[in-house]
Amino acid sequence: MAVDTKKVDEIIAGYEKSEESLLAILQDFQREFNYVPEEGMEKLSELFGVPASKIYAMGTFYKALSLEPTGRHTCKVCTGTACHLKGASNVVDVIGRQLKIRPGETTKDMRFTLQTVNCVGACALAPVVVVDDKDYYEGASPQNILKNLKNYK
Amino acid sequence: MENIKIVIDGKEVEAIRDQSVLDVARENGIYIPALCYHPEVEASGGSCRVCLVEAHQNGRMRLVTSCNYPAREGLEIKTDTDLVRRIRKGVVELLLSRVPDSDVIRELATRDGIEDTRFFKDEGDNYRYKCIACSLCTLVCEEVVGVSAISMLNRGYEKEPGTPYHKASQACIGCGACAYACPTQAIAMTDEGALRKIWGREFSMVSCSVCGKPYIPEAQVDWIVKTTGKERSFFDKCPDHR
Repeated sequence: MAVDTKKVDEIIAGYEKSEESLLAILQDFQREFNYVPEEGMEKLSELFGVPASKIYAMGTFYKALSLEPTGRHTCKVCTGTACHLKGASNVVDVIGRQLKIRPGETTKDMRFTLQTVNCVGACALAPVVVVDDKDYYEGASPQNILKNLKNYK
Repeated sequence: MENIKIVIDGKEVEAIRDQSVLDVARENGIYIPALCYHPEVEASGGSCRVCLVEAHQNGRMRLVTSCNYPAREGLEIKTDTDLVRRIRKGVVELLLSRVPDSDVIRELATRDGIEDTRFFKDEGDNYRYKCIACSLCTLVCEEVVGVSAISMLNRGYEKEPGTPYHKASQACIGCGACAYACPTQAIAMTDEGALRKIWGREFSMVSCSVCGKPYIPEAQVDWIVKTTGKERSFFDKCPDHR
């Protein structure tokens, strides 16, 4: 998948050319493209004189950065202890079957990325599904969660 | 440089202030097992935990990694006590659980009388079947070679050395320093005729004009010429025929 190189240049131009800016730039890439593109890392390595392997290592280290394109929406299903007991695995199964993906994968139409997370800190609401890191669905059941996911295009 | 005296296993030995205890022990023929430490790599050490010793100082005792523990006046080191042996047994068993196929780790285990590990064994056709993730290879590549073609990727139990996207690295010069430095010989490097394969890339080798033996990758010659300004003709002959 090709990314907008102009956008890449724009993001890099907003920062000081030093190693300290690297993580902030990678985060901006993540926000802009929903992942950290290879082209962006190559460009950074070239411009900043930092070895490509170091920037790549940074990308693999932080969970907040994805090296593969992710969907327009991320759907995180909590599989922490409380959610697990309240049937989170069913929720994961049902969503996965509906979207035809496994946890960690992205739908072909780039609409959803499905992830499982270990406890979002809202155990009283178990089982919890978080969409786009802002919409919390409490008491998620296989029935109601599919209905809710329909609202995301 | 300040010369001091420290005691290792009851023997008084000479040392330089802040020299690593492991180096002092080695200079005096005292054996301490160690994997991830290399005296020529400044940032190395402290990762495999095999070189644990008891450090007695100011009336207190601590278990420390001897490879990065500084020698100071009044320091007394014990390398072979029950405590050291017990803790190292755990360390070696954990290493054994990660890389059960490694000859080096198995030998280390046998030496300490360990037959098997209590922990889950990471067996099978695994890419990291010999790697203990000590990061010595990446440090050598960065500090000694100066190209940083490889870095430690991922984290936790998935941590491993590698090139970006696991693709053939353009930065790599094929010198093989990482493979030589690796304490468990986990990095695959093959030389076939005038072709070297390492990190998924092939390098053509320069042959010696006297004996005809291929001995250095072209990319490495380029790198040395570029960074040191040495004459290219210097590499016509191998070290044996210069």
